[in-house]
Amino acid sequence: MKVLVEVASKNISDYVNDAQALLLGLEKFSVLNTVTFSLDEVQEIIKMYPNVDVFVKMDKNIFNEELGEVKDILCRLEQMAVCGVFFYDLSLLELKQELNLSLDLVWSQTHMVTNFRTCQYYFDEGVRYALLSKEITLDEILEICKKSSIQTIVEVVSLPSVGFSRRKLLRNYYHDALDKGESILSVKEKITGKHYLVKEEGAGTGFLLDEVLNGTSVISSLFHAGVSYILFREEGIDNFLELISDTRKYIADDCSDQHYVEKYKKLGDSTGFFFKKTIYRVKK
Amino acid sequence: MKRIELLSPAGDIERLKVTLLYGADAVYIGGEKYGLRANATNFTIEEIREGCRFAHKLGKKVYLTLNIVFHNEDMDGVEEYIQSVVDSGIDAFIVSDPFIISYIKTNFPSVEVHLSTQDSTTNYKAVEYFQKQGVDRVVLAREVSLKEISEIIKHTGIDIEVFIHGAMCTCYSGRCALSNYVTNRDANRGGCAQVCRFSFEVDGKKDFTFATKDNNLARYIGDLIDIGVTSLKVEGRMRSLYYLATVIGTYREIIDRYYANTLTEDVLKVLEERLARVANRAVSTHYLLKEADYDDQYYTGRNEASNQDYLGQVISYDKEKKLVKFYERNYFSVGDMVELFTPSGERVSFQVEKLYDEDFNLLDVARHPDNIYYIYLDTDIDIVAYSMIRLLHH
Repeated sequence: MKVLVEVASKNISDYVNDAQALLLGLEKFSVLNTVTFSLDEVQEIIKMYPNVDVFVKMDKNIFNEELGEVKDILCRLEQMAVCGVFFYDLSLLELKQELNLSLDLVWSQTHMVTNFRTCQYYFDEGVRYALLSKEITLDEILEICKKSSIQTIVEVVSLPSVGFSRRKLLRNYYHDALDKGESILSVKEKITGKHYLVKEEGAGTGFLLDEVLNGTSVISSLFHAGVSYILFREEGIDNFLELISDTRKYIADDCSDQHYVEKYKKLGDSTGFFFKKTIYRVKK
Repeated sequence: MKRIELLSPAGDIERLKVTLLYGADAVYIGGEKYGLRANATNFTIEEIREGCRFAHKLGKKVYLTLNIVFHNEDMDGVEEYIQSVVDSGIDAFIVSDPFIISYIKTNFPSVEVHLSTQDSTTNYKAVEYFQKQGVDRVVLAREVSLKEISEIIKHTGIDIEVFIHGAMCTCYSGRCALSNYVTNRDANRGGCAQVCRFSFEVDGKKDFTFATKDNNLARYIGDLIDIGVTSLKVEGRMRSLYYLATVIGTYREIIDRYYANTLTEDVLKVLEERLARVANRAVSTHYLLKEADYDDQYYTGRNEASNQDYLGQVISYDKEKKLVKFYERNYFSVGDMVELFTPSGERVSFQVEKLYDEDFNLLDVARHPDNIYYIYLDTDIDIVAYSMIRLLHH
């Protein structure tokens, strides 16, 4: 199991000592990144750090007029030593199949990667990896690992993304409020009192829960279940590099050091849905 | 040329029958499992069978939503469920999960599969992918424009279904778990709590709201027909009989008049007004003609108006005594101007002159919803069960 890091800065040299894998948001084609990278920058990073697994994130919803560019990008990525491309839109899988590309893909449909049979379906379609949804339980993750051949990636530390709209919701809000506004707004849900970050960018507006998902306590289970990568998203996480360094040592030690788990209780007690099942029937 | 399909929601067997009578060519329904309206009434297997029988006698179709995002545990028993629904006579499944698509097309090749809007399909390459998996029809994302829909049809030739009326999600369908995080209700398994209609606090500033207006493409039905759309879909499996009767009846008239070349601007305005009277939110065309913007959403939290127009649902008409028997739905009184409309599209406007209770006592007002009343009406139109009475003005 390797540590995969979605970086929040372009200073890649800061990460490569401890991160075994990097997730780089591709400019114009990825959503909810703190920084994005051009294809040339991706190529440069791959050349400079040949021992680091580099994944590229292209997870925006794609429209007709973008298909030509998507095709060109996939062809260029095919020529680079990219470990995989995170995709949301099925046009990427269609283009991989049509063009007979050997480029590996990562099924990354945010809230929809939730069962072993569909993971197996995508594996059979030539998709090598799946980034599992954050909204399923640890038991469900372990069952997917056991019953599907796809290589799994699990997000363990982040400010979780909870929704994405094509609409320019902040621009509209500020227009209504006659306020000049900024590209991030902190809002509070009135009943739960929880805060969310609303972020607007070119592709639309996203929502992040402004509370750290702390999955450090489940890393051991994921390690023993054969998860391929655990994902850490840097945005909003204090002392991130130390966390990455400690995690890498923890894994190298077969996740046996209980001090790691104790130490990272400081990230907070939100374990997302690892131990909490969602409900969907609220009346008889 | 194949005529475009008008596709209606139906939350239960009564709505299914009524909406087909009012002019829908097909209905989509939810079963007791695997649909995205887990808290609606939904159909038992026996009701699905009854609905299919009723629809097929009219030469119409029934589609079943099987479009949740499946978790491991949801896969238990799904094959048996699909088998029982197929045995009930269903014409198509509306599915979002590609494994389920593959399972149905492998085992029941004669049953159609429609790709759910939950997949937020926005381009022709994604459509081509699903086409190769055997999908018969794609319900496109509500984020695409008329031009993009047209391009998708030209490139793929596949049957395309477009939402024309009803509530809109703020986020891309399937790309939202706000409900999961705020209420622990799983948006993608039928438990959506509509958190996008909540209002959020902002420090020192106005509340942040992001609820959308409803969708209404009545004015663009002709354009959708012209570019080759296969099916026009109305949203709202939890909507009332009256709403369905009005909306489906109105779109039936728009479609038929467009084909007959009788949809003038004056007629369209009348029909739009009819739709407006059952709307509980403001409407817009969202992404159809431009990217959705400031005008397509609300800035003051929930904005739903209750509608009191619906006065009664007709049970029968006694032609000799000239009495309409009906269930009351909202208060009204002698002297009010009302309109009665029938499933076949006939309408009669009249002033309420004589009103009786179930024991034929003469009344001034009908005060008790769900009670049976009689109203005097001298007319030649063919008034049948499920005709509706609505208020024009008090």
